[in-house]
Amino acid sequence: MAAVSRDQQLLLLNCATANALAACHVPSPSPFVTIKGASFAYPDLTGAAGRQILSGLDLEVKRGQLVALMGGSGSGKTTVLRMLGGQVRPQAGSVIFDGQDVHAQDLKGLYALRRRMGMLFQFGALFTDMSVFDNVAFPLREHTALPESAIRDLVLMKLHAVGLRGAQALMPSEISGGMSRRVALARAIALDPQLIMYDEPFAGLDPISLGITANLIRSLNDALGAASIVVTHDVHESLAIVDYVYFLAEGRIVAQGTPSAIRASDLPYVRQFIAGSPEGPVRFHYPADDYARDLGLPQ
Amino acid sequence: MIEATRKLGQLIIDFVVKLGYGTRLFCSLLATSGPAFRRFRLTVAQVHFIGNYSLVIILVSGLFVGFVLGLQGYNTLQRYGSEQALGLLVTLSLVRELGPVITALLFAGRAGTSITAEIGLMKAGEQLSAMEMMAVSPIARILAPRFWAGVISMPILAAMFSAVGVFGGYIVGVVMIGVDEGAFWSQMQNGVDWIEDVGNGVIKSVVFGFAVTFIAVFEGYDAQPTPEGVSHATTRTVVTSSLAVLALDFILTALMFTGA
Repeated sequence: MAAVSRDQQLLLLNCATANALAACHVPSPSPFVTIKGASFAYPDLTGAAGRQILSGLDLEVKRGQLVALMGGSGSGKTTVLRMLGGQVRPQAGSVIFDGQDVHAQDLKGLYALRRRMGMLFQFGALFTDMSVFDNVAFPLREHTALPESAIRDLVLMKLHAVGLRGAQALMPSEISGGMSRRVALARAIALDPQLIMYDEPFAGLDPISLGITANLIRSLNDALGAASIVVTHDVHESLAIVDYVYFLAEGRIVAQGTPSAIRASDLPYVRQFIAGSPEGPVRFHYPADDYARDLGLPQ
Repeated sequence: MIEATRKLGQLIIDFVVKLGYGTRLFCSLLATSGPAFRRFRLTVAQVHFIGNYSLVIILVSGLFVGFVLGLQGYNTLQRYGSEQALGLLVTLSLVRELGPVITALLFAGRAGTSITAEIGLMKAGEQLSAMEMMAVSPIARILAPRFWAGVISMPILAAMFSAVGVFGGYIVGVVMIGVDEGAFWSQMQNGVDWIEDVGNGVIKSVVFGFAVTFIAVFEGYDAQPTPEGVSHATTRTVVTSSLAVLALDFILTALMFTGA
């Protein structure tokens, strides 16, 4: 154990206590994904930079690490995932995936990197003209030369993992939102990616599916030796499975640490988020004029 | 005055930006059309969807246009004692003009809108983003098969429209009014040139196929990913395609038939 870093010791400890996990992978010491000083603003209608979403964001994920990215609505969590996938380009800073700058690639290079990534979209984004089976088979058919019999076996294994092997013949319109997200999860891992990004994987799931999905995300990460980033609001479920947590607010990381460190944190932002309290540094109300004046009441 | 100038300037900038974006998309579409041909079943499936399902409206419209041409043509020709030329008039009207033009207009309304709405809704449902994240180009996988299916379908549909239209003219002219059957067909056979008339009609319908289908895929791909955005894009497809078809028809007619 002498050569194991403090972070790894913490993770080993976490793994030992998380007995629900089938296996626990020790992350490699060097970062697999690095976001350094990333700033981003969506362009407004005139094409100029609009509201700043990210400003000087720094984030690291090691291979084998499962990281949660938390923050209030509109804090830019999904933008971080899109930036990692090369779908939005930061105006400043860099995004490095396995030693390669994502945004310095040409289209061919970018697609080569994306073949090593999997992303679960917030609403599933299933192809509505294909059955559940064909949705999961899609990346396999596009990127491999496997015979149809092998593709069938792989698809059934992925669907079985998310508990939807019996729904293989159904169309996306015939399944619920939670089931759609589970099918999308099976599709995202079809090619056994090295980086898996989950955008709100727990939203809309019933408690049974939520627990199983959370454990599945953990065991998938360990089995594949992948790096995973989970964007979520589900504090308690995610703290139970992740190795590290980043809190995002006002375009930058305001708090970070292992789940135990986060639970013990006395930072007002973290306390408010974990307690779900309306009082604290995170405002519930969007900035507005005085309420009474808006209603025309006497001051 | 300043505000009006600013709005005009913004309109011009928007137009130029859209033109540039459209040109880039068209080049990308051509450059990434390989899969649409290498995996031709993708294109065949779209030919089935946008071509085959447009057959009913095309055939019924062709028949009624043929009926009207038969009636109107007979009315005019009999004043000059030339009702024997009814077959020629109906056929030339159809293969040179009405077949390609009306087919393209109907195609824009039936298939163009469906292509735009489908691609726009895929965009709104993040399906295109998901495809990109799976390292699959939506332009190659979604747009190109639909584009080439439209280009392939249009001349076939226009030929069917014209054929059914001639049959409609025959029913009205020969069967109902009593124009001589032999004269109807022989005048048509003698007067219609394969290259000049039929060939140019086919060229027109291919050009319309390029224009209408590209506008449909472009509007879908460029749509704002909201219900209103898709609705507006669908409307723009019909309006822009119809105007493009009529303008292109004038240009092509001027190039093909002037001085013939």
